[in-house]
Order: sequence, then structure tokens, then C-alpha cells
Amino acid sequence: MLDKIESLWTEFQKEISSLEKQADVLNLKAKYIGKKGLLSEIMKGLRDASVEEKKQIGPKSNEVKNIIEASIQDSLKNIQIKEINEKLDKERIDFSLRDSNMDQGLISGGIHPTHQIQRKIEDIFLSMGFEVLDGPHIETEHYNFEALNIPETHPARDMQDTFWFQDKKHLLRTHTSTIQIRGMEERKPPFAFVGPGKVFRCERTDATHETCFHQLEGMMVGENINTGHLIYFMKTLLKEIFQKDMEVRLRPGYFPFVEPGFELDIRWKKPDPKDEEAKHSGWLELLPCGMVHPNVLKAGGVDPDKYTGFAFGLGLDRLVMVNYKIDDIRYLHKGDLRFNSQFSHF
Amino acid sequence: MLISLNWIKDFVNLPEVNIHDLANTFTMKTAEVEEVKKVNSHLEVIRVVEITEIAKHPEADKLNLVTFTDGSNTARVVCGAPNVKVGLKVPYAKIGVTLPGGFTLEPKKIRGVLSEGMLCSASELGLGDGASGLMELSNDAPLGENLKTHLNINSDTLIDVDNKSLTHRPDLWGHFGLAREFSAIYETPLNDKFSESWKNNLESKFNSDPNPINLKVQPESSCLGFWGLSVDNITVSESPQWMVDRLEAVGLRSINNIVDISNYVMIELGLPLHIYDRDLINGNELKIHLAKENEKFTTLDEMERTLLDTDTVISDNDKALVLAGVMGGANSGVQDNSKNIFIEVANWKAEEVRKTSTRLGLRTDSSTRFEKSLDLNLCYRTLLRTLDLVLELCPDAKVVGKPVYDGSTINNEKPRIKTSSAYINNILGLELESGKIKSILESLDFEVTGSNDFEVKVPTYRATKDIEGQHDLAEEIGRIVGYDTIPIKSPFLGVNPVRLTPYKEMERKIQDFMSLHAKSLEVMSYPLIGKKLLKKASWPNLNEKLSLINSLSVDQDRMRPSLVPNFLEMASVNTKNFSDFSFFEWGRVYNDFEDERNVLGLAFFSKTSSSFVNLLNTSEKFLNFLGLNYQLATKENSRKPCSLIPQKWKGLHPHEYMDIAIRGKTLGAAFSVHPIVLRDFKIKGHLSILMLDLTDFCKSQVQKAHKYNPISKFPSSQFDCTVLVPKSMHASETLKVTKKLKNKDLESAKIVKSFDLNDEHNAVTLRFNFSNSNETLSAEVIKSYEEKVVDELAQAGFNLKV
Repeated sequence: MLDKIESLWTEFQKEISSLEKQADVLNLKAKYIGKKGLLSEIMKGLRDASVEEKKQIGPKSNEVKNIIEASIQDSLKNIQIKEINEKLDKERIDFSLRDSNMDQGLISGGIHPTHQIQRKIEDIFLSMGFEVLDGPHIETEHYNFEALNIPETHPARDMQDTFWFQDKKHLLRTHTSTIQIRGMEERKPPFAFVGPGKVFRCERTDATHETCFHQLEGMMVGENINTGHLIYFMKTLLKEIFQKDMEVRLRPGYFPFVEPGFELDIRWKKPDPKDEEAKHSGWLELLPCGMVHPNVLKAGGVDPDKYTGFAFGLGLDRLVMVNYKIDDIRYLHKGDLRFNSQFSHF
Repeated sequence: MLISLNWIKDFVNLPEVNIHDLANTFTMKTAEVEEVKKVNSHLEVIRVVEITEIAKHPEADKLNLVTFTDGSNTARVVCGAPNVKVGLKVPYAKIGVTLPGGFTLEPKKIRGVLSEGMLCSASELGLGDGASGLMELSNDAPLGENLKTHLNINSDTLIDVDNKSLTHRPDLWGHFGLAREFSAIYETPLNDKFSESWKNNLESKFNSDPNPINLKVQPESSCLGFWGLSVDNITVSESPQWMVDRLEAVGLRSINNIVDISNYVMIELGLPLHIYDRDLINGNELKIHLAKENEKFTTLDEMERTLLDTDTVISDNDKALVLAGVMGGANSGVQDNSKNIFIEVANWKAEEVRKTSTRLGLRTDSSTRFEKSLDLNLCYRTLLRTLDLVLELCPDAKVVGKPVYDGSTINNEKPRIKTSSAYINNILGLELESGKIKSILESLDFEVTGSNDFEVKVPTYRATKDIEGQHDLAEEIGRIVGYDTIPIKSPFLGVNPVRLTPYKEMERKIQDFMSLHAKSLEVMSYPLIGKKLLKKASWPNLNEKLSLINSLSVDQDRMRPSLVPNFLEMASVNTKNFSDFSFFEWGRVYNDFEDERNVLGLAFFSKTSSSFVNLLNTSEKFLNFLGLNYQLATKENSRKPCSLIPQKWKGLHPHEYMDIAIRGKTLGAAFSVHPIVLRDFKIKGHLSILMLDLTDFCKSQVQKAHKYNPISKFPSSQFDCTVLVPKSMHASETLKVTKKLKNKDLESAKIVKSFDLNDEHNAVTLRFNFSNSNETLSAEVIKSYEEKVVDELAQAGFNLKV
């Protein structure tokens, strides 16, 4: 009997391997392990078997029944897969036709390069407790000059070529320093803020000069704020921007709204230690800054006898141009997407 | 401004440091040095040689092979000079020497023969104009001696200082003042040649002769004070070489001894002056007064200038002689035959000089100095120094009478400033000893009393506007000590939360959403615009009120009233390169002074089909993203027109337009641009634009509120029906029935699809979902709901498609 069961299994395997339809498989299942199937037929002879044989036949029959059952299930699944795949073959899509392979115009999104740098710097200062402010572009003489310690007779007014409106009272701000005054008016020390924004100068445009460009102003006012603090924030800023410690130097610079006033240069090129002449070169003038002039504090409603502060300004476009090696500043305002798309997020 | 170190050395002993270190130190402590230049330093390596042999060049008739000796070595050069002869002593430049033209000698074969350097002409050495042949040196010139020593020529080193960095330092516009800086920087004493005994010696030349010229200063003029002195019997001649050298070194041309003296004193002491030929002065009085309106005056440069009644002139009895503080006239200066002179040393109101010179476009050495606010007290010393040099160069000259003065009362009292070491250390972040502070101030000519709390007397020449308060003294200390000695420290101000302002938050939300979701590139366009572009865009508002007086170009002469014209222009640029694109700008439009609107513009362009639906979808998602409730309305349904888009603008598409109302205000619109305007910009395709004024939401935070509703446990029931909608109507009109249903169990009503049925109608399939949060709706109830829907649709004119 054991032999019969073994050969039953062999027969089954032969038969199932050629089946491709679900119904045929189910019929085969009935033929072998159904109630009236071949296995049941064989098992009818169990009565005539010896005790010894019975002990072996019982488990053997169960084992064969189980593997036939499993084989049937396998076969059914495979038939389903085959049917689905045939359907999928018909639904085949061409996924090579994706955006990157297609000519469908410009699919690209991104922030303007100047705003990317601006946001980075805003975040650096935000992380150090500075607010981010802005003010109007059309300003009065008061905010652009007088409050910043630049009276009408001051030669510094020559240094900035100002666009004036027909009413001769309003002008386009020539620097973001106007934000200093507006910021101070609304706050009580201690406070710290930066003010990025557009500024305007009546200058002929060329590859490095624009009538409209971007600055970022910064200010911190409190008790005992000193020059060492100013250098600390400037060095930190530069380290964050350039992701490495930058060598800086502070030298006297003249701006009416600060006293003492400085030019902060960064070491842009390592000098050749053997070259006497180049030993002091390789500096890039980057940040005009200084301790806020008492008259400016007063104009902003801050008591200069009690508080001190520092202020600085940064040309954003210049940083963008240096960073990306852009050859012409005029691309920044042109809206030519062949330019803008080079700074896209995707 | 060029500074001659030789000249500086008249007043201070400079330490033996490398010139580049010195220049850098000056940059770090006083003002920016732009360049270091050496004058005549090449002469130190040019040597005297004697020609010993001359042979013809084998290849060239006009060239000779000249052999010579410097006393110990011989060498040979190829030379074409006509005046070569054996025994002649000439200057020799060997290989490696750089001549004044910037030309460095290299080993070189001339027609096949190696030439070991060059025998030089005077002009090649920068020593004269004569180009004809070699410079012939005297027979007794010692062989091998360098030319600088032999000819006793001064070499000099110049540093070129950025004028802008001296704007606030009137005292540094002359070498004596600069020398004081070096004395303070290097802690080495200043040699004040202008001492009391020097002064007494010159004053001893004054006499009781009557003054030939009297002065009359009109108080309304720009004159602060005017000194004059007459000197007779001068001789106009060439200046001595030392004076020529110094003037040329700092970039001035030598004219004659008298003119040169006036320039020399100005460069030395920083105060401009004027010397008149006294015989050309008509009468015996000089009047300093305001010019007549439209008065004509010919300046020294022979240009006729038109003066205003705010300009000050100096006149004799019948004519103006000098434009005060700016330039002399063509009619009163010293001539070759002048015998008697009048020296003017005056001071003028800085702002008046600046106005006059700026208006006339006449920036002179004189006006540049006067507009820095010079010190009246320095005039007298300048007058004496001028006399000093006149007497030195014209030994026969004789003072007539004594100096005359008119003008405001001279106040030589030094302003006082109270300060303390605590203040100075506090602002600089330093811990300097009081003694150090005191000594630095004293080295800069401040008088200091007190030990920790100081009273500081400011020299009058620093007090004209530079030094006003203790903060200015802190700068003096800081720069001389060196800003690089300041310890770098973080302050501790207390820790407070900082968040973005609503304006910034809006900016960032726009940038993020538009770049990531709307797949658009951010652009910037100019806030300044011109009439041409506005007209090209058919924009009705030309914003004349916000136009500039001093625009640089008619294309940028006013503030833009809208982003739309810029958008059309940018779209035009990009249609040349891309079939589809989109961009956005977060920019300002300018309605009026104090009325700048923060506007978002978004443009979708497609060459092939309208992107208007796409633009509306993006716009709605964006408003949802901001958390703003909004209503869209077609032109017909609009309640109030959108202020960003003038209704008479012919650029609006007849159908593709929806305005956007938020909180009851129409703040924006989405629209397609009419092809008639696109044509003017050569745009072939479909351009749809969103303009949205978000100014209101930049003032306070917009909170996006999420509200949770429990999820219904009972199934909802769906009902689809298809109705006929006239083609002139939007499919969404059908959804208006939902309001009439007044059915609380209506969960949603949406359009499934719309298809083109026939010429009159579209077939629109609608889907309604009903559910109740407390129970499963029974079949009868649902049935009644469905009937009501069909009923209402029919009543609204939308019949079921059968």
C-alpha cells in the first residue's frame, strides 16, 4: 500500500505540471484527494493491512494529502499570476516618457539666488536672537539721512547718489540703514535685528553696478555692547556663510552713522609669505560697520548715555556674485529663466 | 591723494620698516592706502661706465657693438645711438633692471649678437625729454658709481591714500597733519618746524609801511576769515629742483616759483591759498562778497562760468578776481613779469564751497579741501609759511606793512570733552590703562587733564566737525591701539524667543509653495519702470505722481504701478527659449508715498493650451495653504473690482478671469492675458497670471486653523446623475442647487465629468453623497433625497439627460 501511495504522488506530479487552467487544477484536486478520489480508494484497502503497516500508512497518507493540497494551491496562485501578468502586459506603460526625458518646456522651481543667500543669512541671525525687519522703499530725508547723522551739508550726501521724487520730499532709500531708525523706534533696548532689502542708487549700470540692489543691515543695542561683540557676530556670520573660520581685519572706515566706524575685510586670497608686497594684499572689503553714533541712537529714541550698540551693512548681490562667480549683476533683475533655473531646487 | 614720505620725514623720523608694512599700518590705523609707488629708485642700480671699444655690428650698418667697463668688469651691448665714442662716460642698465616705462631688461640677441643690458638715454631713465642718443656724463664721473648718488637725485616713496577715507579728516589733507599721524602711530616725536621762534623771525619782517590792499568781507558771503599780506620786489623764475621734485612726486606740475609756493604750502599744511599779481588789482581794496545772479566769470582754466547770488567772489574795484574757495580768475594770477604780490589765505564755509563747486562741476584741490571744513586758526600759520618760502626763493623780496585781516572773530579756544577710561574701554571692549589712553590722546595733540575721568581739550583743527564727543575720542584710541587687539566676545543679553515677522513668514510661505508646489522660479523685476513699457502693456495708470526728478533713463523714471507690465516683458524674454514655463515674484507695487503694496505675481505660460485652470487650481491651493478663506468670482459675478487690475485694461481675456475676495475685500485676480496685448510683446501662446495683494496679511500672523470632526460610523450613500448644461454656462452652476436643498445629510456635491454632447449642451455628471452621523439612512429616505435633487436641478433649468 505504501508503494501505491508513493506512486500516486509521482503520478500527481506528472499530471499537474501540464495544467494551465484553474478548472483543470480543481478537477485534478478532486481526482486525487477528493472524497471519492484516488487516495480515498487506496485507503479503503487499509482494513486488510497489518498493524505494523497501519502505523506507517496513516502518516504517509496524510503527508501525501498535504503536499498535494499545497501543490494545488501553488499551481492555482501561479495560474492567477500568469493571468494578471497577461493583463498587465496589455496595460504596459512607457515610463521612459518622464519629465527628464521630455521636451515640455521648463519644469523647475526655485528661489531667486539673492533670496537664497538672504534667507541663509536671516536664519543665521535668527538663530542668534535677531529679528528680521524691513521698511518702505520710498523714504523721507529724515529716515534716509537726517536721523542717520547725515545733515544736508554733509559731504556724505555726495557719496550716495540719491533718486528723488518730484515732490522733492521723498526719495528712494539709498541704504537699508533706514531700517535701523524704524526698528529702534518700535523697540526698547536690549534688541537686535537685521534688515535685508532693496536699495536704490542713481548710478550708471554696468556688469558690477545696478541702480537697484540688495543690502542687509544689522543692529544690536543694549547696555555695554562693545566693539568686541561686533567682531564676534561678524566672525560668526562669516563662519556660517563660508562654513569655515575666516580671517578678518577691522580698519578705520568713515560712515556718518557710526563712531568708531570700521571697514571689515576678509582674507580672500592667501598671500605668498615670500612676497613682501603681497603680504598685505588679498583682502576683500566686505562689511562696513561700527558702533552706532549717539545721534543715531537719539534719533531712534534710545538714550545714548545708557545704551550702546553696533550696526553693520552687507551687500547681498556682491556675495551672490562672488559665491556663484556670476559675471554680470544685471541678470539678477532680468527674469531670464535660463539664469534663474540654474539656481532651482529641482 | 599722494603722500611723499620724503616730505613726511621733514616732520617725523619714520622707523626703518618695510614700506609695505608702513602702508598697511597706515591702512589699519588711519586711512586706506591704495597703492605704494617708488620714484627714481631704479637710479640706484644704474651705473656709470666708460666706453672702451666700438665695432660695427656684422649684420646691421646702423648698430654698433659697444664694449665698456665699470672699472672692474667689462660688458658688451648692441647700441644704435649716434653719439657713441670711445672714452665717453654713460649710464648703464644691466639685465634685470626695470626702467621707468615699466620695461625690464632681459638677455636678448639683436641681429644675432647678444646684448648684455643697455646703455641709456636721459629719457629712458626718466631724467629729461631729449631722446637724441646716450646720456653723456661728465668726464670725472667715478666709474661704477650709481646714478642716484652721482647726480644727487632724490628717490622717494609715495603712498596713495583713498580720498574717501579722508572725508572726515580735514587735518590729513596736508603732509604736516599726516606726519602727526605717523608720529602717534610709531610713538616718535613730531618735529614742529613752525615753532614760536620761527614765527617771531618771520613777524620781524613786518613793518609800518601802509598796507597797499585793504579787505572788506561782506558778512553774508561764505567767508569765515581772510588774511592778506603784500610782498614787493619778487622775481618770478623757475623753482628750485627740490621743490619741483616734491610737487611732481605728488602729481603737480611746476609752473614758476610763486605759483609753486602756493601749491607747496597747500600740500604741506592742507590749507589752499591764492597769490595775486598786486599790480593787476584795480584800486586798493579787495571785496569779498556774494556774486550777482547770472554774473559771468572766467576761471583760470579759461572757461566762462555763470555764477549765482549764493556764490562768493573776491573783487577789486571793477571786476571779480577769484571764485572763492574754488578757483582763481584768468585775470589776476602771477605772470612771468610780476613784481609785487598779494598773498590771500582765507577760510570758507564748507557747504557753500561744496555747493558752488558741485554745481559748476569744478572740483579743484582747493574746493576738495575747503569742503572738509578747515580750521580758521590755521590761516595765519599758512600765511607765514607762504612768506617764509617767498623770502627763501626771492631773497630780494620785501614785506610791505603787515598782515591784514577781516572776517569773523578768531576763536582759538579749544573745545572740551569730558570722558573716562571706563567709557572708552566699555565701547571698545578693551581694558586699557588710563595712562595709555592719555598718552595716545596727547600724541594726537589733545590736551588731557584728570587721571580716570578726563577733560580733553580738542585741537581746533580737529574740532571743525570731526571730533564732537567722547565716542569720537574712543575712535582715536581704538585705531591707534589697533582694532585687532580687541578681544572677541559674545554678549549676553538674556534669552528670548525670536520669530519671523508676519511679513517674513508670508515671504517664506510664498517662496516655498511657489517653488515646490507651483513648480515656479522666483524672479525679480525692477521696481522702477518707464512710460514706454507701461504703454506697450496698454497699462492705463502711468503713475506720474511717483516719478523721479533725476532718473538715469526714461525706461526707469517712475515706480511701477503694477507687476503686470514687468511680467509681460519677462514672459516675452522667455518665450524665445521655452515652450512652457512659470515664474513668480513677491514684489512691491507703489500706489503712493507711504502706500507700498506687497504683491504676489504668478505667471503660467504654455505655447499650446491655456493654463488658466491650472493657475486657478494653484491659486486655490495656495490660499488654502495660507489658511485664508476666499471667494472666487467671474467678471459678471464680481462684487467689487480688483484694485490691482484696472477694469479698463484691454489686456484682460474676455472669459478667463476670476477675482479673489478675502475677508470681504477683492485683493486679487487670476486671468489670462488678451492676445491683443500678447501680440505687442511678441508672445505666441497662452499666458495666465495671478496677482494677489497680500499686504493685509503681512501685518499680523495668519493662523491656519484645523478642526477635527469625528469620523461617521455609518455608511454614506452616493448618488450620480447626468444633466444637460447650456454651453454658455459653467458646469459649476449646477452645484448651486445644493443651497436650495437645505439638506443636512448632504455631505458633498461635486462634478464627476463634463462632456461635449451637442452644439447646445454639455452633459455634466454630478455626484452627491448623503450620510448621517447618527444612523444609517434608510432606502426610502435616500430615495426622497435623490428625487429632491433631480427636482431642484430641473427647476434650475438642468434637465436629466435621457
